[in-house]
Amino acid sequence: MTRWFEEVEIDKPFDLGSHTFNEDEIIRFGTLYDPQYFHVDREAAKHSHFGGIVASGWHTVSVGHRLMVDRLEAEEEIVRQEGGEPGVSGPSPGVNRMDFKAPVRPGDTVRYALTVTGKRQSNSIPGWGLLFNLLEAHNQNGELVYSADLVGFSKLRDYKMPLKTKALMALATMLVLSKLVRR
Amino acid sequence: MGVDVKGKQMTNPITHDRLHYEDLELGQTIPLGPRTVSKADIIEFATEFDPFPFHLDEKAAKASLLGGLAASGWQTGALSLRMLVDGFLSRIASMGGLGFTDLKWKRPLMKGDTLSGTATVTSLRRSAGHPNMGILTIAFDMRNQKGQQVMTLNLANLVEVRHPAMLEEAAQ
Repeated sequence: MTRWFEEVEIDKPFDLGSHTFNEDEIIRFGTLYDPQYFHVDREAAKHSHFGGIVASGWHTVSVGHRLMVDRLEAEEEIVRQEGGEPGVSGPSPGVNRMDFKAPVRPGDTVRYALTVTGKRQSNSIPGWGLLFNLLEAHNQNGELVYSADLVGFSKLRDYKMPLKTKALMALATMLVLSKLVRR
Repeated sequence: MGVDVKGKQMTNPITHDRLHYEDLELGQTIPLGPRTVSKADIIEFATEFDPFPFHLDEKAAKASLLGGLAASGWQTGALSLRMLVDGFLSRIASMGGLGFTDLKWKRPLMKGDTLSGTATVTSLRRSAGHPNMGILTIAFDMRNQKGQQVMTLNLANLVEVRHPAMLEEAAQ
């Protein structure tokens, strides 16, 4: 997030923008990563229960992720322009649940929204917190395309490292460095 | 699969010869991969779908929690999905994915790593609302060339039932 862990607001939906899927990009993604006939073959797809080409769910989700990255970076820029220091987000440990609810067809416009539904400090990585995010995507008819529970890392602004952790980290760094030097 | 005016199931010419729900076995395991991921592969996917600096730039990646240039987690998933399509989903009468649970990115897939793994059918059941559909759960166990786990996830996928009426009769 562009906010520090402490400042992340709970249960406030964050609009990530929308994307219109055209047939070419649906087929291109399908050809690379999900070449099932209803994602890549216009004629064959007519025989499927979808009745035509639909986007791979993984494609719809990847586009949603792209929009989230863009939105976070745009927010960061605003924070910087206002003289603030943006927060730092880290890699995600995973997705607890992803439900594909409605297919995405060529020409569909999908709008994505992110809501942080909960947060806590990380037990495994000092100085970082975990954000529990609900990601939802709707098409132009208001139908839910997918709904997902994602986990993300967010850095704490005010973190005082305990002395014991500091000593352990220094020791670990020394070990890593000595290994590198020997190489 | 459609139903004609007389209520008879119409055969899907594309999936007609493929394995159907009735042909699948609980516990069957499909080998996935291998596939080596280059720096160019990582940057290409990240440029389009995950343009965080730690997926695009080696220097930024070294300074991040990942410790070096690593593939987007979504790319690891997409590559695993591709392996499942090649090894399994293109041979069965798949009707698309319903979603997944418990996707865990255990460790980053780094530049030059080779991804491979297994997919195991962990459950098979009929759809409650659609007699012509079965739901299978597939557990992914994806690893790097050192055998370390990179990603796990449980995918739910629809598959056509060849003879819904026969299965119903047998269940009575």
